[in-house]
Amino acid sequence: MPNAFLAISENYQFLRIKPKEGGLGTSTVLARDMDLHGYLNRTTFQTLKLSSTPTCSSSRFLSPSLHKTHKFPFPRLTTKALSTSSAAVQTSPTTTTISDDQGGKHQWKATIDFKWIKDNKETVAVNIKNRNSDANLEFILHLYDKLFILQKEVERVRGERNAVANKMKGKLEPSERQTLIEQGKNLKEGLTALEEDLAKLNDELQREAQCIPNMTHPDVPIGGEDSSTIRKTVGSSPKFSFPVKDHLQLGKELDLFDFDAAAEVSGSKFYYLKNEAVLLEMALLNWTLSEVMKRGFTPLTTPEIVRSSVVEKCGFQPRAKNTQVYSIDDSDQCLIGTAEIPVGGLHMDSILAESMLPLKYVAFSHCFRTEAGAAGTATRGLYRVHQFSKIEMFIFCRPEESDYYHEELIKIEEDMFSSLGLHFKTLDMASEDLGAPAYRKFDVEAWMPGLERFGEISSASNCTDYQSRRLGIRYRPSEVLVPGPKKSKGNLAPPQFVHTLNATACAVPRMIICLLENYQQEDGSVLIPEPLRPFMGGLDIITRKS
Amino acid sequence: MDLHGYLNRTTFQTLKLSSTPTCSSSRFLSPSLHKTHKFPFPRLTTKALSTSSAAVQTSPTTTTISDDQGGKHQWKATIDFKWIKDNKETVAVNIKNRNSDANLEFILHLYDKLFILQKEVERVRGERNAVANKMKGKLEPSERQTLIEQGKNLKEGLTALEEDLAKLNDELQREAQCIPNMTHPDVPIGGEDSSTIRKTVGSSPKFSFPVKDHLQLGKELDLFDFDAAAEVSGSKFYYLKNEAVLLEMALLNWTLSEVMKRGFTPLTTPEIVRSSVVEKCGFQPRAKNTQVYSIDDSDQCLIGTAEIPVGGLHMDSILAESMLPLKYVAFSHCFRTEAGAAGTATRGLYRVHQFSKIEMFIFCRPEESDYYHEELIKIEEDMFSSLGLHFKTLDMASEDLGAPAYRKFDVEAWMPGLERFGEPH
Repeated sequence: MPNAFLAISENYQFLRIKPKEGGLGTSTVLARDMDLHGYLNRTTFQTLKLSSTPTCSSSRFLSPSLHKTHKFPFPRLTTKALSTSSAAVQTSPTTTTISDDQGGKHQWKATIDFKWIKDNKETVAVNIKNRNSDANLEFILHLYDKLFILQKEVERVRGERNAVANKMKGKLEPSERQTLIEQGKNLKEGLTALEEDLAKLNDELQREAQCIPNMTHPDVPIGGEDSSTIRKTVGSSPKFSFPVKDHLQLGKELDLFDFDAAAEVSGSKFYYLKNEAVLLEMALLNWTLSEVMKRGFTPLTTPEIVRSSVVEKCGFQPRAKNTQVYSIDDSDQCLIGTAEIPVGGLHMDSILAESMLPLKYVAFSHCFRTEAGAAGTATRGLYRVHQFSKIEMFIFCRPEESDYYHEELIKIEEDMFSSLGLHFKTLDMASEDLGAPAYRKFDVEAWMPGLERFGEISSASNCTDYQSRRLGIRYRPSEVLVPGPKKSKGNLAPPQFVHTLNATACAVPRMIICLLENYQQEDGSVLIPEPLRPFMGGLDIITRKS
Repeated sequence: MDLHGYLNRTTFQTLKLSSTPTCSSSRFLSPSLHKTHKFPFPRLTTKALSTSSAAVQTSPTTTTISDDQGGKHQWKATIDFKWIKDNKETVAVNIKNRNSDANLEFILHLYDKLFILQKEVERVRGERNAVANKMKGKLEPSERQTLIEQGKNLKEGLTALEEDLAKLNDELQREAQCIPNMTHPDVPIGGEDSSTIRKTVGSSPKFSFPVKDHLQLGKELDLFDFDAAAEVSGSKFYYLKNEAVLLEMALLNWTLSEVMKRGFTPLTTPEIVRSSVVEKCGFQPRAKNTQVYSIDDSDQCLIGTAEIPVGGLHMDSILAESMLPLKYVAFSHCFRTEAGAAGTATRGLYRVHQFSKIEMFIFCRPEESDYYHEELIKIEEDMFSSLGLHFKTLDMASEDLGAPAYRKFDVEAWMPGLERFGEPH
């Protein structure tokens, strides 16, 4: 076996990490904003979609991202929120410190633009229908109105109570004082009751509103799976002059996997990689990391155990029946199903300087998925497993740039898969298949000769401000609203939610399936595609062991 | 159902990033063949197979033995009770040296009780068979009735005895699991301070400027993020960034290739495993302050080391001798609760809940294990030397071995920022 990794250093030499200017110093400003926009959303699990996503009901509504053809007044809405006089301003509503004892387990709140929803009720309703979501818009708006009224009532009673308190400061007859004390006491009790109702109503509104999915890019086809359109096709399916084997058979003959021992040790859908398969995984990881870093992405490794609240804020449902998420015993922690979660969490509850954007990360992690409810076909071998290595790209950017970066991400994926010589098609996923957080989603499906069909190898989503509103990630635009001698908080535009995007750079098991099945030779050996050879110490073919 | 099939539960033998609490339970196995002690390991297996009282089980550690009475241990390990009994003094001394609280007297007592009970069960079975045989012939109705009564009584008696036997088996298993492995004669007896230095390599670098620790360096070079990880996951989690990621990949790539050069088969492993496998390797997922994370609504755990899934790779198997030695080098992420590991040396990367590790694992014939132990430590020392580290190799003292280990070598490298040696392996 040739020394496997000599050439890797050469491949990394050209990479220069951008000089850091004092690192990514994010100023986390925590202030409190009790406006009507602070509510939690819980959404369906938006995944690499290794199986067809069950169209779950809940989604999160956000004010739509700024799209090239739609100039939504995003900055203005935030200004409106901040100018709401009724409550103190909160610049990071998604804080875990808001206590929430009544009404349920949701202890954190995301910023939802209810006013926008109300003003654009028809558009939102159509979107809910197109997404096949069962969000109850009428009920949500009803609760919102109720809340508004109740909030006013609370303010009114508070006002009365303050008035009584003020009166008591002056000089009074004992009987007058006694009357006022009585009044004050009644008002206090009434206020407490009202505030409890307010909290409960807030929670209920939150729970319901979480069912609203993200808005949809106008070019997204409306309908189910079959409505997804093909954006691009690359390559063609290889013609074999011999009977084609699937990856399981190839793996067995070349001693690359062990599923049987893993079934004993861990359970079904677990596996060991052996011999050249290990080298192949390392090569895929090293090569992908270097390819994406070349394009200006900052490399990361991430925690694989995260708080369940972070999982939910990204749009997944750890507590749902048939959840994809593994939970840790005696803990509020979960295993990640994708690095999207810890990378999104990297900047939670932060306000980033505009000059920092876009932030582009390429993250390597192991991913864990229960695959509960994913029975039936296409579960053999490496196609559907509980644990795998994945390299994920993640971008935080300004709203007006997210469409651009979505195109950039899919281009990076297509370039990489082309380099590896794969035959694939890129799909613009239809509205019912988006998953709640995605404004638009491109899936790449590669030809897998052994399975005799296309299989998903990656997914690129533009989540606009869906995740950022839950994770509390904003940026401070550098434009000045009111010209003045120097920039101060008063004349800077208020912070806005960033847009987030995520895309699979490499899901190792699916890639191994593609490589083994497409590059198999008649004698049962497998060729290694050119770009990976330097990362395997020059190994160009996997052959049977004697 | 031979007398050798019992479960063992042992202490968690870990990467020892902290001093191992000397837990009581260990697993006893017939001692490995040591150069100066010719223990009859092959002969014992033959003995087990020739035990006439029970069907021969070629894979005693099977999860199918149902075990409803007496506890949660549903699998059994093969313990050589006869050997323990015959070498009672040696075993007792070993237990003391290891600071184990295994109760040898009680265990042998249970073993004797079991033997007697087993004989009784066989006797009653024999009587019942005799009665059954008698009933096959031609009999007077009154005779038949008597026999039926006898048969019924014997059956009830037998059932009761068999229940007692099962309970006793379990109890013996639970107790016997506390017995630690035997100890290599060269292992120093005593606690941490008795560990001896086998080898020292290099010397601590002299700095002409104030030395920074890794946390400060990492901060200045933008290599880690502990703060964000504390928000997302909790304390002792981290993100690696920029060159630190390249460093991790480089270490993994280089180590894998160095070890593969020496004939080890590369592996990646599951990181979620059944808790039974964790226990069979000598760890205690259910203990208070366990190092092991468990998965909710499941009998599964996260691995703290690839040792577990690699050991499990060949569980319940008989390997051809020609396959040995089997040498694996496994890459995995490892997860540890670090419960109970408070205090010093917990800053930064020194003690974390999740990390990448490359592990070497060897399956070999008993007479070769000492040789391969030397080979493994040599590989480690070569690699750490190549990286220019200053380190010392310790022969760990008897109280610090951890239950499964017959002998343990630890390497501690000089960490200038911490101003002490720390275990990098």
